Amino acid sequence: MKWKLPYLSNKGKIAKPSIWVAILIILAVLPLFIKSPYLIHIINMTFIYILVTVSFRTILTSGQLPLAHAGFMGIGAYVSAIAAKTFGVSPWLSIPLGALVAMGVGILIGYPFARLRAVYYAMISLFFGMLIISGVKAFAKWTGGAAGLTGIPPLFGFNKVPYYYFFLGLTAVSLLILYRLESSRPGLNWKAIAQSYMVAASVGINEARYRIIASAIGCLFAGIAGATYAHYSTVVGPTSFSFMATIMLLIYVVVGGVGNFTGPIIGIFLLMTVPELLRGFREYVPYISAAIVLIVVFLMPKGVTGLVKSFLSWLAELWKSRRTNDAP
Amino acid sequence: MLLELHKVSKHFSGLVAVDNFNMSIDAGELVGLIGPNGAGKSTIFNLITGVLPVTKGKIIFDGEDITDKRPHEVAELGVGRTFQLNPLFSDFTVLENVVASFHLRPKSSVLSALLNTTTYRKHEASIKEQAMEILKLLGLDKVKDELGKHLPHGHRLVLGIARALAVKPKLLLLDEPTRGMSLEEIDLALGAIERVCQQGVTIVLVEHNMEVIDFCDRVVVMSFGRKIAEGSIDQVRKNEEVIKAYLGDINAA
Repeated sequence: MKWKLPYLSNKGKIAKPSIWVAILIILAVLPLFIKSPYLIHIINMTFIYILVTVSFRTILTSGQLPLAHAGFMGIGAYVSAIAAKTFGVSPWLSIPLGALVAMGVGILIGYPFARLRAVYYAMISLFFGMLIISGVKAFAKWTGGAAGLTGIPPLFGFNKVPYYYFFLGLTAVSLLILYRLESSRPGLNWKAIAQSYMVAASVGINEARYRIIASAIGCLFAGIAGATYAHYSTVVGPTSFSFMATIMLLIYVVVGGVGNFTGPIIGIFLLMTVPELLRGFREYVPYISAAIVLIVVFLMPKGVTGLVKSFLSWLAELWKSRRTNDAP
Repeated sequence: MLLELHKVSKHFSGLVAVDNFNMSIDAGELVGLIGPNGAGKSTIFNLITGVLPVTKGKIIFDGEDITDKRPHEVAELGVGRTFQLNPLFSDFTVLENVVASFHLRPKSSVLSALLNTTTYRKHEASIKEQAMEILKLLGLDKVKDELGKHLPHGHRLVLGIARALAVKPKLLLLDEPTRGMSLEEIDLALGAIERVCQQGVTIVLVEHNMEVIDFCDRVVVMSFGRKIAEGSIDQVRKNEEVIKAYLGDINAA
C-alpha cells in the first residue's frame, strides 16, 4: 500500500517562549475588556476545539488518520455527563473519569488497530466512530439518544467568565504537554514510523507500541475536551461527535497546515471563530468557509502556517541577498 | 558463531523463495551474499530481521533463537540493516535520521521525555554527539543539515549505513550498498564499509559489484533460493554451478 499521510515536520521551535507568555497574558486580561457573554462563549468553544484538533493532529503525526476522533470526544462527554447527572458524581471527578475512559478505549482499540496502516486504519476507525454514535442512540435511556442529554450539572454555574479561565488554563497546559511530546523522542518516533515503518522497525522502534501511545494520548485529550464541554454547555447530542464532526477537525488541520503544531490553532480560528463572529452574514458563512478551504487546498499545499513559513524564509533570503549585494 | 541459519525455507504461497538454506557467520567476518537477480538474497535478510516470517527452519543469533522475533526485537538484539529502496527517513535531515535511529541506546521513557528530566536531556545530548561521530566516520558530516530526500543517491545509501550503525549492531546486513552508484559514490560507500569493518562489526552484504565483493573474506552464492557454493572468491569463481547460474548452462545450448 503506497498511500501515505503527508509528512508532519516540526522544524525549529514554534516562536519564542516569550511570545507565548505574551499571548497568555493578553488572553488572561481579555475578559476585563469583553463584556459580551456571547463573545466569551465563542472564545470558550475555540479553546475546547483547539484542544480536540491539536490532539487529533498528534495521532496524525504517527501516520494514522483517526476518523473516530470526535467520537472519542463524545466518549469523554457522555461518560462524564452520565456519571455526574445519573450517579451524582462531582464534575471535578467525572471529567477525569470521562477522559480516562476515552483514553482506555483508545488503548483498547489501539491494540487490534495498530496492525492496520494508513487507509485501512482510517476505514476501521471510521466504523468505530459510527459505532460510538450508534451506541449513544441505542442506549437512549442513559444517553438521551438522538435528542441529546440535557440537564448536565454545570462546572461553575452559568457565568461564562470562570469557564473562560478554566479553559484557558486547561488548553495552555494541554498544548504544552502535547508540544513537549511531539518535539522530543516520542514525537521523533511517531514521525519516523509515519515516514517508513520498515526503517523505523529496523532501528528498534516498536511501531505498534508507539502508535498505541499516540492513540492513547490523542484520545485522552479528546476525552478531556469532550468532558469539559459537556459540563460547560450542559447539553450534549450525538451530532457533535459524528463522522462529520471529525471531518471538520480534519479540515481545520489541513487549512491551518498539518506540518505545524500551530496549524490546527490557525485552522480553528479561520474556520470556526471568524465565521462565528460574522454571524450577521450567517447565510454566507458556508460559502466563505468553502472558499477558504478551496483556496488553501489549491494554493497552499502546506496550509496557512506553511505559507507563512515559506513567506518568512523568502523574506529572510531576500534580506540576506540584499545585504550581500550591498556589501562592497 | 554469531549468526546461524539452519535449514531455513521461505514459501510464498507455492513459490519457494528460499529452500533449505544453511549459513553460518563468525564474529568479525565480512561475508558477501551473491547470486543472480531473484535468487532470494534480500529475502534472506528479511527472514533474519523478522520482516518476513520463516516458513521452516531456525535462525540463531548470538546464542538466541530469533526465528519468530519481530523486526524491532531483532534490532534490539543487535542486528542493523539497510534497505535497497527507501533506505532512510526522507523528510528528516541527515542528522535527524541518525538521531531518530538512536531509539535503543540509551533508551528513555515517554514520561522522562515529557518532563524533560536531566537524564533525558543528557541522553539526547550524548545521542547527538554519537550521531555526529557516526556521520564523521562515514564522511557525511558536511551534509548533516540536508533533508534526506535532497541527498544524492550515493549519500542516501551511505546514510542508510549510518542509520543502521546507530543500533550499535554486532551484525550489519547491507542490501546492495553500492546499487546504482557512480564511481565516486562507490568510493564513498567502500570507505564507509571499510571503516565500519575496522570497528569490529560483522557484516553480511548482498552485492553485484565485484569491486565490493573483492573486499569480502568469504562469499556465499545463491541461486533459486538455494546455496550453490561457498568459499573464497577464487574458489567460487571456478565453481561450475556458479558459472552455470550466472551464464546459463553452456552445454545445454
